[in-house]
Amino acid sequence: MSTPCRRRLMRDFKRLQSDPPEGISGAPCPDNIMMWNAVIFGPAGTPFEDGTFKLTLAFEESYPNKPPGVRFISRMFHPNVYTNGELCLDILQNRWSPTYDVAAILMSIQSLLHDPNSSSPANAEAANLYRENRKEYVRRIRETVEQSWE
Amino acid sequence: MKISIELWRDVAGWRWDVPDDEVCGICRVPFDGCCPSCKMPGDDCPLIWGECSHAFHMHCLIKWLETDSSQQQCPMDRRPWVTAK
Repeated sequence: MSTPCRRRLMRDFKRLQSDPPEGISGAPCPDNIMMWNAVIFGPAGTPFEDGTFKLTLAFEESYPNKPPGVRFISRMFHPNVYTNGELCLDILQNRWSPTYDVAAILMSIQSLLHDPNSSSPANAEAANLYRENRKEYVRRIRETVEQSWE
Repeated sequence: MKISIELWRDVAGWRWDVPDDEVCGICRVPFDGCCPSCKMPGDDCPLIWGECSHAFHMHCLIKWLETDSSQQQCPMDRRPWVTAK
């Protein structure tokens, strides 16, 4: 069944394949275009380097007028990621715009990794360590980088 | 000499006044095509311009402005949407 949402998701997928941004990849499930799997590679030169962090994106027919539900499947240690993998990211909530596509969402999450937003902590422990004990913060992230390879 | 024209067939083309290859930022379909809810491009699926100069398929923009989360803002620059006259 073709709907405006599904046609938009096909265009998103085409754009991801023809002009893939560095360090991200994503594709819809073979049997369900509304469910996507994605991988964000930890940006080089950051504590997340070499990590392969897996996410899911769940779209509803209201896309692109409503954002998808995005969550990390890989364990994350980050001030703006809840321990259940859900994210606190303004563009996925009150600053969503229908001009965003899958590539834009994944690139925003990629840049959030190294540039946490301390005003909306989702993981208090990570937020505290980020502020007060950067060495331990980095060590905890390196743990999640190794776990992400499993 | 006198020429009388017996048959004349007019053919005209038209297109929206937007740059080539430009796509609607909401549905990503070229402006020369129609929005994903319509079948034929043309007057039944017009474009709409804001005072901010951003253009969209009218149907795409209306669906966005009908959502609570739009806060009646332009999807491109988040300024209050005002349709250009």
